[in-house]
Amino acid sequence: MIELLELCGFEKQEIEAELPRIEKAFNRLGITTEDIERGKQRLNKYYDVELKGIRKVFRLCVREVVSAVLAREEGKKKIIYGFMAPGWEIIGSALVSKSSEVYAANLSWAFQVVLGCVFGKIVPILEAAEKKWLKAGVVTHCANVKTFLGLIVSESVPRPDMLITSGSLCETAPKTLDLLHELYGIPVCCYDTCQDRELSDYLDGTKRAIDMSAKSLRRLTERIQEVVGFEITNDMLREVMDARGGLDRGIRNIRRLIENSDPLPIRAANDNLWTILNMLTLSIDDLPDAIDATNTAYAELQERVDKGLGVVEKGAPRILAMLFAQHADPRLEHLAGELGIAIVASDIGLAVPYDGATEDPYVEISMYLRGSLSTSLPRRIPLIVEGCKRLKVDGVLDRFHAGCRFVSGDAPLLKDAIEKEIGIPVLLLEWENFDPRIYKHEEYKRRLEVFKTMMVKKPA
Amino acid sequence: MEENRLAAHLRDRPAQLAEAKKDGVKIIGTFPGNYVPEEIIYASGAVPLCLTHGGNPHPADAALSVLPHVFCPFARAQIGERLLKENPYYSMIDMLVAPITCQHLKKVAEVWEYDGDLEIFKLGIPHKFDGDFELEYFTDRLRVLKDRLQAFTGNEITDEKIAGAIALYNRMRELLKNISLIRRTSPSLVSALDFVKLNHASFYADPDFMVDVLDSIYQELKDKQQESKADSPRLMLLGPNISYGDYTVLELVKTAGGEIVIEEICEGIRYYWHTIENKGDLYQSLARGYLVDRVPCAFMRDSAKKRLDFALKLVKDFNVSGVIWYELLCCETYDSESYYFAHEMSERNIPMLILESDYGTADTGQLKTRIEAFIEIVKGVT
Repeated sequence: MIELLELCGFEKQEIEAELPRIEKAFNRLGITTEDIERGKQRLNKYYDVELKGIRKVFRLCVREVVSAVLAREEGKKKIIYGFMAPGWEIIGSALVSKSSEVYAANLSWAFQVVLGCVFGKIVPILEAAEKKWLKAGVVTHCANVKTFLGLIVSESVPRPDMLITSGSLCETAPKTLDLLHELYGIPVCCYDTCQDRELSDYLDGTKRAIDMSAKSLRRLTERIQEVVGFEITNDMLREVMDARGGLDRGIRNIRRLIENSDPLPIRAANDNLWTILNMLTLSIDDLPDAIDATNTAYAELQERVDKGLGVVEKGAPRILAMLFAQHADPRLEHLAGELGIAIVASDIGLAVPYDGATEDPYVEISMYLRGSLSTSLPRRIPLIVEGCKRLKVDGVLDRFHAGCRFVSGDAPLLKDAIEKEIGIPVLLLEWENFDPRIYKHEEYKRRLEVFKTMMVKKPA
Repeated sequence: MEENRLAAHLRDRPAQLAEAKKDGVKIIGTFPGNYVPEEIIYASGAVPLCLTHGGNPHPADAALSVLPHVFCPFARAQIGERLLKENPYYSMIDMLVAPITCQHLKKVAEVWEYDGDLEIFKLGIPHKFDGDFELEYFTDRLRVLKDRLQAFTGNEITDEKIAGAIALYNRMRELLKNISLIRRTSPSLVSALDFVKLNHASFYADPDFMVDVLDSIYQELKDKQQESKADSPRLMLLGPNISYGDYTVLELVKTAGGEIVIEEICEGIRYYWHTIENKGDLYQSLARGYLVDRVPCAFMRDSAKKRLDFALKLVKDFNVSGVIWYELLCCETYDSESYYFAHEMSERNIPMLILESDYGTADTGQLKTRIEAFIEIVKGVT
């Protein structure tokens, strides 16, 4: 266990202090000695844990999982879980910064890293959800929602006082919350917008969508205030947003460095960690740890770049990937690297320009609606085509998350448009971004090998 | 008699509409779910057509070239109908008013928007149906739709025209409701298949003509006496979608000796339980009628309990002894809700059968066996 925790960036002193808590939480989650051993192997195999910055991110994920599992018995009076809730990381951070009696978190992300990526043990959680209403099979329910539901119904985490989600990206999450309310009596709140933007009026339409989302978020905070018993002011949100500025910059700097480096300085599976780090609802006191992780990683990566060190050969085909890296299983990204393919970026960082600068924190939170994953197909396509050109990629890997109708429906036409407009190959991979059972090594290996040969070879 | 008149009208309808197009009349398509007020389209002088064909695997399969299989067969059928160019209704529309309801139908609108050969208006449906600013948003969008239709058709949409259209569609809903209520008798005077076909016809027929037909049918039925007492189990059909042509389950239930006496379906069936208030701010009236004063579909927030309560009321009012839950494959919200409904029906000792369809013909035998077994169970319970 100690060796594992060291790989996860815990210092000796902290291990001594935290070990009883961690062991208690891991026991509750069914983590065995064999799992610990597997965890060490997977960390060494799939992640750049020789980088201190990476280890520090794992540390924060482990801490998050432990805090979630033990929240009630450690005296948290109010527990609120958010899920698929862009902006919740800000509101949640404001809550935990204000009161030590509140536990507020994005529930699934850290569990996917720790149970899924590290221990390879997310499947029992998914199965718990499948025994309820998110059944397995051709209906293709999203495994992210399954993780969320599974954690609650398996009682891996305490029953919350409130559940929060957004409805602008999918219907499965709000429906699951609706049923958790009806069948388990848990209060829920969903904030929404209307995704009725048209290509022809994109900027105006974006304002409409953002304004609607901002109103809905304000109503959400009114509901949260009733639960936690204190006011959530604009100043509190602004303070968190300011404090998170360093984290946003740190992650952006790392991603820019990776995008512009040849050879690729870090294995692609690590990319998921920056996404998760950004989603943690850290208090203002804990945010410096996250910022330190990004700054440390950036410095370490810059050193690799300066020395010309990479994880694939210089001149390897560069690809843009659709969606985040797999949240619960690093094997596909690892395989791509082994085959000499450099995943330099994903489309999540691509956003539609919007000139609606604002002092209103709710409007600012709602700016996520400009992002590639929140736009409609006719706007997403030019956004990605422009991204491909800017990043000078040789191909696109669209591992479309079949459980998400929002993104999977774009895949065939995205491929068509990219191939026509810039003439680079697009590999469509039907995929589950949160379920390791989808992984088929031999099939993916063959398809990635063919894909590689289709990409234009660049001189080393 | 009326059935023949309606059949002849529907047979000639594509040709009629083609002629109207030559005279400059615009044909405006919508999708089912009852979130697009046809009244505004009608008041613009255009012809509203609710595109609701399905049940045939061929168009749904054809759509796989542009949409993955995880989309429901109804959404794929819409794409396929337009790709195949065999269905005149899908080829003749000049504009689509696309209700942004579930991700499936939203994607159909996006695909057609990407194709670029059709004017598209996306009508945002707030998924929280009972909130103040949501109602305001929807009302605003209806006003924008009015402006867009005025520009597109070149016709002014006056309040008088809207009021006339509301009166017409209110009458259509009222007649469908009256006919539906007649089905409370045992045996029902109208079969489920006939009622659903009549309802579907209302999406394609000329609305004035349809009201006339419905009125005649209602007058004929209301004085009719039941000749015998039926022993068929009285069933309710619940689910997301029964499309024009998706009649396999209705036919199988009838053949197996069951009688579906009421349907609670989100898409495909014209919603007829409500009346739009025809005074004051008519756009607000329409917004309230189409968004708030109705049973919410499953994609709406906090909708499961409201839909369950309504279903239980129908069980009581229509003396239902069993429920058939019919869902389309990959419809994730209804699939989730089926668990809740099964749980709640079980608590009340109401047998419920869950069926899924991909519009494929291969599973008809299995459906038949399951329906027959279910009807035996219901007979046993009652």
